Amino acid sequence: MTTVKERTKPVLLPELCKGCGRCIEACPKHCITLGEEINQTSGLVPVVIDYDVCNGCGLCISACPEPYGLTADGYELEDPAKLFGAAPHHGRTPAAIPGRAIPLPKSEPLVLKGNYAAAVGALLAGCRHVFGYPITPSTEGAELMASFLPQLDGAFVQAVSEVATVNHMYGCGGAGLPVMTFTSSPGLSLMLEGISYMIGAEVPAVFINVMRGGPGLGNIGPSQADIKLLCRGLGHGDTNAIVLAPSTPQEMLDLTIEAFRLAFLYRNPVFVAPDGYLGQMTGRVQLPDHMLVPGIPGWAVYGDAAHRGNLINSIHLSEADLEKHNEKLQAKLARITANEQRSHTHRADDAKILVVAASTPARMAKSAIEHLRQEGVSVGLFMPVTLWPFPIDALRPLMAHVEDILVVEASAGQLEDELRLAMSHADLGGARIHHLRRMGGMLPQEPEIRARVHEILEVTR
Amino acid sequence: MNSSQEHSAFYEHFDRHAHGKGLKGASTHYCPGCGHGLAHKFLSDAIATLGIQDRTVAVSPVGCSVFLYYYFDVGNTQAAHGRAPAVALGHKLANPDSIVVSYQGDGDLASIGLAEIMHAAQLGVPITVIFVNNAIYGMTGGQMAPTTLPGQWSTTCPNGRGVMEGAPLKVAELIAGLDGPIYVERVALFDQRRRKQAHKAIEKAMRLQVEGRGFAFVEVLSECPTHLKMTPEDAELWVKDTMTQTFPLGVLKDVEREPWFEGPRPKFDAPQMMKLVGAVSVDDPMPRFGGEFPVHLDPEDVSLKLAGAGGDGAQTAAMLITRAAIREGHDATHIPSYGPESRGGTSYADVHVARTEVLSPGAPTPHVLVAFNAPSLTKFGPTVRKGGVIIYDSSVINDVPPVREGVRAFGVPCAAIARELGVPLVKNVVALGAVCAASRLLPDEAVLTALRHALKDKCALIASNEAAFAAGRAAVEAAG
Ligand code: SF4
Ligand code: SF4
Ligand code: SF4
Repeated sequence: MTTVKERTKPVLLPELCKGCGRCIEACPKHCITLGEEINQTSGLVPVVIDYDVCNGCGLCISACPEPYGLTADGYELEDPAKLFGAAPHHGRTPAAIPGRAIPLPKSEPLVLKGNYAAAVGALLAGCRHVFGYPITPSTEGAELMASFLPQLDGAFVQAVSEVATVNHMYGCGGAGLPVMTFTSSPGLSLMLEGISYMIGAEVPAVFINVMRGGPGLGNIGPSQADIKLLCRGLGHGDTNAIVLAPSTPQEMLDLTIEAFRLAFLYRNPVFVAPDGYLGQMTGRVQLPDHMLVPGIPGWAVYGDAAHRGNLINSIHLSEADLEKHNEKLQAKLARITANEQRSHTHRADDAKILVVAASTPARMAKSAIEHLRQEGVSVGLFMPVTLWPFPIDALRPLMAHVEDILVVEASAGQLEDELRLAMSHADLGGARIHHLRRMGGMLPQEPEIRARVHEILEVTR
Repeated sequence: MNSSQEHSAFYEHFDRHAHGKGLKGASTHYCPGCGHGLAHKFLSDAIATLGIQDRTVAVSPVGCSVFLYYYFDVGNTQAAHGRAPAVALGHKLANPDSIVVSYQGDGDLASIGLAEIMHAAQLGVPITVIFVNNAIYGMTGGQMAPTTLPGQWSTTCPNGRGVMEGAPLKVAELIAGLDGPIYVERVALFDQRRRKQAHKAIEKAMRLQVEGRGFAFVEVLSECPTHLKMTPEDAELWVKDTMTQTFPLGVLKDVEREPWFEGPRPKFDAPQMMKLVGAVSVDDPMPRFGGEFPVHLDPEDVSLKLAGAGGDGAQTAAMLITRAAIREGHDATHIPSYGPESRGGTSYADVHVARTEVLSPGAPTPHVLVAFNAPSLTKFGPTVRKGGVIIYDSSVINDVPPVREGVRAFGVPCAAIARELGVPLVKNVVALGAVCAASRLLPDEAVLTALRHALKDKCALIASNEAAFAAGRAAVEAAG
């Protein structure tokens, strides 16, 4: 004897039925019809099922696009208060898996090219996922990663473009892992969309942008002409990120490690922005005394039970929500501005003339200052390490004795604009601001800096 | 909880849908009759059936399904327009155990995101792509899609898609034509049989990923009654009768592939890292040779320029000097000429050796010049400082331009010596021997140790390199 399994009849929740009628043509018994009454809750006209004719075949259920419109057993019918009341929380607390440090033995200094030093820094910071598109003068970083990462069972993927690169990073960083790329100016332009998404969705990532001459294809000579983009133009919306300006191969390594720490501390991308010279320059690099094993933060969309229910997202449909989100982001940026300003000075304590320069131009300036001091000129160097936030707090006390500022840079005044903006916000005035600018892949040279300081002395004497 | 949720990956309550209040807590944001809801249900079912809800990461696109994350109780990432496959790949490589779905519409995948989908598909890493093709832009309000049919009306082809608007893009065929994917099928939702098939296809595309077999792609022909300006029923008929003419249903690719994907599972091991980056523990230091700073050249900072054609070995020689100087406790830098101009045949290296810190790394006025060819000597000879040294390859340079007073120039037949040694490549090492002899920049042993270290994997070459170095020194000494 065969038993006929009793089939339950479909339950239609009229509030959740959109009246589309897709179930109607699905029903072999023709027992569903378009309704006539507007549902007062939904404002739509739900269908009507004739349960006397219905045989419970369930075909209508599989034709209904609504998850809970038409179901085998109804949805929360017993508790309309829950359905239409305050939203319950799904009640999972995502778990963070902590990272850890592994000590490294003290080692002899390495001799590394800047791009390699940054790559080694990333590896020591626990980064095992690198995405990139080849672009001079940053390519050695990607090449080193392509050779090392398979040996460390990590992943290097050569993306189809910088657009794809930044989105691979968005996924990997959103999964909570340290991720980075090497790029150069035209590549950065292409990545800006994704960077804006990262900032909006609070995804950490590290970008090494080895700056070259522009605009357009420009050339591959050293430049600082992305300062404007990095400090003021990281894609659409109110976006900012920490921008670090190394000046030695050692700092290429140290600041890359630091960039990862800051990226995760603030859940924001961080940029290391050497001029092309620093990417290509080989020098002495001392390894730190430990390397890091990354954990997985609680917020990550890692794809495991501990992180299920997390969301990486930058869309906030209601204006009020999006404004609130922006306020939160701005509060974070204010914290960064208060806590993360970094700079070096050299013979600036009593200087009347202060040279402001970053990266390779700062090295040139330091050399010029040594010579000028021997001539008895009261000149010193102020070297922002964070281009954003501009280290205005360290500049402030110097302004008590500085009469002239000379901004030396490899761009048409982008660093100077940052300085002027920061001084204006800080109400710091008084000093005359002069400049020495080179463009198009040229760096200001030491003799030029000396000559410019002499000019300033002459005019002001 | 009831049985609908037990066999579903949907949230019990759509909290994220405008804070989950009222209807928005339980129904979708899709228009009545929209095909997205069905594709969602099939995906939800597949996730539940395969038992992968904890591991699933859904990447939502820009388009009507941008709010996928309202509904799926999994890990969710919302991606920029067209970039979902790139984002999905980032997720998959971050956690190879995660099951990653890229859910995209036709504008997202077939227009702005073409490069990303092609690359992801060709790479073949196991992810699942669900491509909902309804032949029109929904979210932005009925504009032409790459899949809009010939003659079909849209707000941006108001006279119907014509020749100037191009032909519809057959994405499934395109993807199936690549070597990367293992499974490509086009399905539809317009009747029970097709819905069953769609359900099966989505589940299969997920299962292939779970089993680590490869990249799977399901194109779902879907109804957008709103912008087709049809009733849901007519929209179903339109897909059935019209759309399938251009986009025939069926399996386009289904290849057997054994599970292969393991994914990156990084190691973090200090000794391995030290070895990889070539770090030597201080317990096992490289020898030093007590070289004092060469104050006879400059009290603080000596600069060198090595110039020649690509292949002359100027960069390698520069690196060896830099390494040797740093080992000796000085600071040193090397900066090459780089990029296209260095491909064109010229190759310059600027080196600094400083007592405490190299400041300006360029060498516009070097203390030492090594010129491997005549143009280099002509160009840089006059820049050498008073008291400086020039080494030039006299086997290829016949005419020596006049040099500044107080500059000593040594013609060393670098190329000829190297040829005699049977290793033409070592002419740069001949030059190094000559530099050490003529400038006393660094102790010979410091440079030779750096050289031996660089050749530690090619020991057979050490003898000829040492001979080259000695010959360079001898040539300078013979010249007095
Ligand atoms: S269960 Fe079958 S018979 Fe009953 S309404 Fe649905 S489709 Fe018709
Ligand atoms: S298919 Fe679902 S939403 Fe559409 S009319 Fe039927 S029950 Fe209502
Ligand atoms: S506009 Fe079209 S695709 Fe978008 S939700 Fe409405 S019916 Fe669906």
